Amino acid sequence: MAARALGWLTVLALIAGLGAAFGWAPREAVQGNVQRIMYLHVPAVLTAYLAFALVFVGSVGYLLTRRAGWDRLALAAAEPGVLFTGITIASGSIWGKPTWGTWWTWDARLTSTAVLFLVYVGYLLLRGMVDEPDRRARAAAVVGILGAANIPIVHFSVKWWRALHQPSTILGPEPSPIAAPIAAALLINWIAFTLLFAYLLAKRMEIAQLEDTHAG
Amino acid sequence: MPDNWGYVFSAYGLAAVALLGYWRRLAGRAKRLARPAVRAGNVRQG
Repeated sequence: MAARALGWLTVLALIAGLGAAFGWAPREAVQGNVQRIMYLHVPAVLTAYLAFALVFVGSVGYLLTRRAGWDRLALAAAEPGVLFTGITIASGSIWGKPTWGTWWTWDARLTSTAVLFLVYVGYLLLRGMVDEPDRRARAAAVVGILGAANIPIVHFSVKWWRALHQPSTILGPEPSPIAAPIAAALLINWIAFTLLFAYLLAKRMEIAQLEDTHAG
Repeated sequence: MPDNWGYVFSAYGLAAVALLGYWRRLAGRAKRLARPAVRAGNVRQG
């Protein structure tokens, strides 16, 4: 019942997000309407960070307690995390073509994000390869903990290396230079994506619980 | 700069397909697990 309510709240938030991105937010002066990809691209990467932070928490929790619930949390967060990272890369690539003139470049931010994506795809593949539940959970937890080290590398890559990708305009040390209506539209979409992630996480955890019950 | 609406709709369309596809996959899996035949059998966690 709660999951259903969360699902409907997510749908409403996503509709509000689309309304804000395409209706309320103004046309950006330099890039034009192609900048509206930002309302998808930025919330997707922030949600991926959140997902992989939860994989880290679940992994540490499992190694400390050996309780299956922590492993289920890590698994349930990793799948949507990979999905949101994939969306980040795809939307960034599509945005890059008209603005940078290329679909892809081996820039520090793009490369570290691709590595982040591959690490967690590897995490999911590893889980599929090990049959014994405790061995699988332990091996996955190690990858889940090591993989999280890549999150600050992705985020700060634009500060640490010379990059084509623009520096962080939110979650940076300086006050954000974004105009208020654009920032508000971004915030609405960020909330919508966080709700979507919470819904997918709850759904995936429920399935993992059912799978454990059947397997046990 | 031209508006490049094609790029905008491609990005949002791709994201919608990916998210809906994942949601449908989860819903199908939950439905299968709720079936009595599956309940009796062994299901391996992914």
